[in-house]
Amino acid sequence: MTEIVERQTEQTRKSFIGQRRTRVEDERLVRGLGRFVDDVDPPRLVHMALVRCPYPRARIVSIDASAARALPGVLEVLLPEDVLERTDPITILRPIPDAPAIMPRALADGEALYEGQPVVSVCAVSRYIAEDAAGLIEVEYEPQPFVVDVLKAIEDDAPILHEHMGTNVVVTNPRGDGDPERGFEESDVVVEDTFSINRVSGLPMETRAILADWTPGVKTLHVRASTQAPHLFRRQLAQSLRLPEADIRVTCDDVGGAFGLKLGIFAEDLLACVHSMDLGRPVKWVEDRMEFFRGATQARESVHQAKLGVSSDGLIVSYTNRYYVDAGAHNSPMGSPMLSSLMFQGPYKFPNGYVERNVVLTNKVPVGAYRGYGQPEGSFVREVLLDRAARKIEMDRLEIRRKNFIRPDDMPWQTIGGAKYDSGDYRACLDMAAETIGYEDVLLRQAEARADGRYVGVGFGCYVEMTGYPGSKFLGKHNAQYGAHEGVVVRANRSGGVDVYTGVPPIGQSTETAFGQVAATVIGLDPGNVRVFAGDTHGTPVNTGSFASRTLIAGSGAIERAGREVREKALRVAAHMLDVPVETLELEDSVITSTQGPRITFEEVALNAFYAHRMPEGELPGLEATAYYDPISNAFAYGTAAAIVEVDPESGEFTLERFLFVHDCGTQVNPLLVEGQLHGGIAQALGAALFEEIVYDQESGQLVNGSMIDYFMPTAADLPRIELGHTEVASPVTPFGVRGIGESGTIPPGAAVANALADALSPFGVDINRLPLTAEYVWRLLAAKQAAR
Amino acid sequence: MTETIETVRVSVKVNGEEAVRDVEPRRQLVDFLRHDLGLTGTHVGCEQGVCGMCTVLFDGEPIKSCLMLAPQADGHEITTVESLNGEELHPLQRAFKEHHGLQCGYCTPAMLMTALALGRRGVPLDREQLEEELAGVLCRCTGYQKIYDAVESYLAETAGSGGTA
Ligand code: FES
Ligand code: FES
Repeated sequence: MTEIVERQTEQTRKSFIGQRRTRVEDERLVRGLGRFVDDVDPPRLVHMALVRCPYPRARIVSIDASAARALPGVLEVLLPEDVLERTDPITILRPIPDAPAIMPRALADGEALYEGQPVVSVCAVSRYIAEDAAGLIEVEYEPQPFVVDVLKAIEDDAPILHEHMGTNVVVTNPRGDGDPERGFEESDVVVEDTFSINRVSGLPMETRAILADWTPGVKTLHVRASTQAPHLFRRQLAQSLRLPEADIRVTCDDVGGAFGLKLGIFAEDLLACVHSMDLGRPVKWVEDRMEFFRGATQARESVHQAKLGVSSDGLIVSYTNRYYVDAGAHNSPMGSPMLSSLMFQGPYKFPNGYVERNVVLTNKVPVGAYRGYGQPEGSFVREVLLDRAARKIEMDRLEIRRKNFIRPDDMPWQTIGGAKYDSGDYRACLDMAAETIGYEDVLLRQAEARADGRYVGVGFGCYVEMTGYPGSKFLGKHNAQYGAHEGVVVRANRSGGVDVYTGVPPIGQSTETAFGQVAATVIGLDPGNVRVFAGDTHGTPVNTGSFASRTLIAGSGAIERAGREVREKALRVAAHMLDVPVETLELEDSVITSTQGPRITFEEVALNAFYAHRMPEGELPGLEATAYYDPISNAFAYGTAAAIVEVDPESGEFTLERFLFVHDCGTQVNPLLVEGQLHGGIAQALGAALFEEIVYDQESGQLVNGSMIDYFMPTAADLPRIELGHTEVASPVTPFGVRGIGESGTIPPGAAVANALADALSPFGVDINRLPLTAEYVWRLLAAKQAAR
Repeated sequence: MTETIETVRVSVKVNGEEAVRDVEPRRQLVDFLRHDLGLTGTHVGCEQGVCGMCTVLFDGEPIKSCLMLAPQADGHEITTVESLNGEELHPLQRAFKEHHGLQCGYCTPAMLMTALALGRRGVPLDREQLEEELAGVLCRCTGYQKIYDAVESYLAETAGSGGTA
């Protein structure tokens, strides 16, 4: 049985949970007064620029930095030998199970393994001069055999990236249940294919950035970072720089988007710190966009060999997926994504299943976390195959899903991938999506359009999403270098307000607003009286950070506990001040009222608590609490995306006429923010489904489209109006019944669009097996069919 | 330090105030605004003229300030997001807040400058035209929908007021 969270807050008081409230963050951000790393220019600031390897793989024969050193304004040049001895490899925050850690170094150690790997670092009085100097450094490279294709990298004669491993396959993680092979034999219809998922970039509008400021003598390294996890950043810096944590303070005021990409420290962070420690001056590095495409972690690329067997009455008998993740040249702090495996089953139950993850190295930029963390890929493959099976057995695509859904009364459900679903009504979301999009009408319209020579199609994609972690113990078993919990300090102030301190930095996810709503509800104040201070390791409890759709789950639990302590103490102090029994008191709207009549403001109580002039016997001064909350289980979000397309079979071009997303994220703390999270995730998913792809040339190993001009992320003119719907089944395993929402939008859109395309083109018998779905790709599919006729 | 860097004098009217600085001839306008004048509301995302993060008004028209050198702005007028700032939010800023037209807020100043120019132009736009107008500034967080809603409501509000709101 799943443990159920006891709801501590009997909410008879006013609740701000569920309110559509505008954001407190906006007051500074709409004024352009956010403080991003590059907005801070301390006195004596100097700048760093890097020399990066221009080859996919090359031995570094020699480096001549004399001309750079002679350039006026240049303060320091760091060669590999200068930093490798002084820094330790970067720790992996989330190691790949059973795999060797291939940890990044500050600079290439004898050999660079991907185009863009830092080789030399320069510091100068301006970024302009630092870049001039980098251009003057002569590196003699000896290009080496390379491989930039994931399937070629596993061939016997492939060049091995890390010789000591003897293979490019870092690890093979299998997981299964039942007898999949027998299952296929017993199936009436088996469909299978190899699916290619594109390499994409999370592409935050603010690139990576750091400002490192070492004060010699007093030994403090104050770092301003653009990160999702300041406390993890501090720890990793301490490890790699061999400093005690006390010497390091990480501040993160505002982050211009992160999406998984800004987790952990990178080579450039170490280099900026080393320069600062050498020079005793603040050192800034703000990645330019060309560097970004060659240095910041990329995502998603994988090849999936999947097979699905169903009975003639539409039941899934067996499903297998053996996939190869193109991890790039070494591990990044968040490794390669794990959730294509864990969540491979999606919302369906079936007796036989097998999933196998192979993590493969190539001479490309390392892969890291990106919103969805493997779930978009796995979901795409499964949902596309399911549609194909339905077509084969001539069953309606909704019908086959309804038949196989795990039902509410099956919960909690232990999946083959190793997840335990907490609750949910998957069919309700599908039905709502089908009804809203007018499924039956679209089918009629489709028939009419075809008679007209036009090709209209409708498609669906269903998902279940793992949000949060099932507790710190789970992460411990996986050797993660962090816990599943969040901690907060909730402290009253002497003006009658409450200050909340959290290590979760603002990355666009609206934590300040949502945490404020929760704290205000728990304590009994208006949210306007709660101030959230976020993202500075000085003054916030050690925490984990903003990722894995976990912040609100763990954070609201911590606020609930700390807030309750503050509230209860306020009531005890008030009882003493008013000389009434504590049971007679209630705190609401900042006023404590006794059923016996007397009342006192929260402000007066707080002031007295800090003066401690009139405290109950044995009560300590102050009015604050620190609390941690460690989740007891994951909460699983779920839903259905639906798309309508019209395709021009002559050109392969198509328009996305409608796009709809119905989801359940449990209790919605703030529906306005939920919509925003979905819109953003969906836009990223549609970008990856329709346009985005990082391409490497097989011949030269070179990155082909490493600039914003050549990499097409969607603009305002490229996306359809996104329609949203939701159901609201409170999760029984989280505080307040919330499920995470940050990543949902990224998961099913690709499948919905692909299935709509396949539906539109069903007269041609076209099968879709890759992303992105460019017009050229669709045209090629159709041309191949025509040629075969 | 032995640096002897050639500089040129640039005088620009920024948000109504005269600013005079000696800068390297190659100084980008966006760096001039951000790092010489301390107006950090204008951001940088690509330095290539693609992302639009650096959008400011140049003699009233939106331009990408990463594509212009500071000396080219000599004698001209620049308007940045800071021009909207007061104790109360400007109606355009308020529209963004009310419609949740921002998340990380990195693209917001550029969106605001683009929308401000649209409002001043005062030409009615249909949905498609408005999307095209906004397409010069990228946003990775919002999916644009709520930005669109915010701008649309602001434009409706300013229509008739001559775009002075
Ligand atoms: S910084 Fe991207 S357009 Fe100017
Ligand atoms: S709000 Fe983050 S880029 Fe637009």
